[in-house]
Amino acid sequence: MVYLDLNEPIVNIVIRSLYVSGVASLLAFITAIVLCYYYSGRSRRSVDLIASIFEALVGVPTTIIGLLVYYLLYPNGPLGFMRLLYTPYAIIIGQFLVALPIAVVSLIRQFYNVRKSLRELILSLGLQSSRVEIILVLRELTPILASTYLLAFSRCIGELGVAMIAGGAIECYTSVLTTTIAVQTSMGNFEEALVLGLILISLTLLTAILIKSLSKILAGAFHYE
Amino acid sequence: MKILVDNVWYSYDGVTYALRNINIYLTEPGIYLITGPNGAGKTTLLKVISLLLKPTIGRILIEGVDYWNSSSVEKTRLKSTIIFVHDKPLLVRGSVEYNVSLGLKLKGLSSNDIIDYYIKRYNLSDVRNKSIYKLSAGQLKTASIIRALVLRPKLLALDEPFTFLDNTRVKLLIEDLLNLADKGSIVIVASHYIYRDLVEKCKGVIELFMGELLSLKIK
Repeated sequence: MVYLDLNEPIVNIVIRSLYVSGVASLLAFITAIVLCYYYSGRSRRSVDLIASIFEALVGVPTTIIGLLVYYLLYPNGPLGFMRLLYTPYAIIIGQFLVALPIAVVSLIRQFYNVRKSLRELILSLGLQSSRVEIILVLRELTPILASTYLLAFSRCIGELGVAMIAGGAIECYTSVLTTTIAVQTSMGNFEEALVLGLILISLTLLTAILIKSLSKILAGAFHYE
Repeated sequence: MKILVDNVWYSYDGVTYALRNINIYLTEPGIYLITGPNGAGKTTLLKVISLLLKPTIGRILIEGVDYWNSSSVEKTRLKSTIIFVHDKPLLVRGSVEYNVSLGLKLKGLSSNDIIDYYIKRYNLSDVRNKSIYKLSAGQLKTASIIRALVLRPKLLALDEPFTFLDNTRVKLLIEDLLNLADKGSIVIVASHYIYRDLVEKCKGVIELFMGELLSLKIK
């Protein structure tokens, strides 16, 4: 049995990781839905352009995003007055920027295609209003929305660059699973790092099962086999 | 319901016209057939009449009102009883029953009796609660058609409604369309399949060729 010799209970690190990544991915997910719904009403060309921009942003390394957040929140930086550097909120901001592009890329073309067909359907049923359109679109995309959130969450909880640079990996304050794994590995504590890695993988899998089950419950509420 | 298609031209891309100088005046309830080869403009004409597409040139008058130049209140009123059934069924995630009742639900109406009646009539009772992803092409087509029938529209436009339907369902559909027409509705059907029952009892035939009106025979 491996005894984890950390300066902080592992459960605290896990809860902090879930908190910052959960909040960041949720904010990114909601923002992506709003952006995608807005842009999906435009032409195909506009949608392809937006998708291309965000596809390029997906490839930006998390260390660069961490650097950007560091620069913004640095005491002499543009947002230095907020005093958020080396706090969990800095990690949330950074992970939001990490997760947003992937959430948008996952959703935008789906929103466009679904919205186009549903608009045609609503008109063909003798209706004018687009009030119901958003509800029908979200309903139609339930499985995609679940997958998108999982993607965003996985990207957040598994990233290191932002948590390390903008968060600082401060014990009992901003250390999360990935920074703890990095620190333990650099100290030569491979067994600790491995166990933490397994915990990280388990968390991701458990979240996936939870989100998928929730998605099935929502689907079941629509009364079909 | 009176429908006037007044000098209508329609272009999808601003260059070529799918419809050219179409003039049709439908005043009597009944079934009207639109015929023509592929690419003649049948679907486009149906969509223009059903107010899904705005004419590039020309007007659509419903009960004497120029729809595309009327107020949004008037548009809502005129649009509400005009239903279009696509050739490829547009169904949403959910059961057959959910899809069939969708139009009623979106309009804030409920009529379980009529839904039950049509589901039973078209032999969809066994798949009533099944997901639409588990249906055959014919069952999907049937569901999209009865979703329109339960709404009892004043104008019903159907694009190739008989595709994928077996003979029994074709017969039932023709009966229901004739019934709808007898109750005062205008039913417009674009179809390659010319069924004798339909031709004998239809009120008029609109023949299109390359976007133009080749002939208009009203009985």
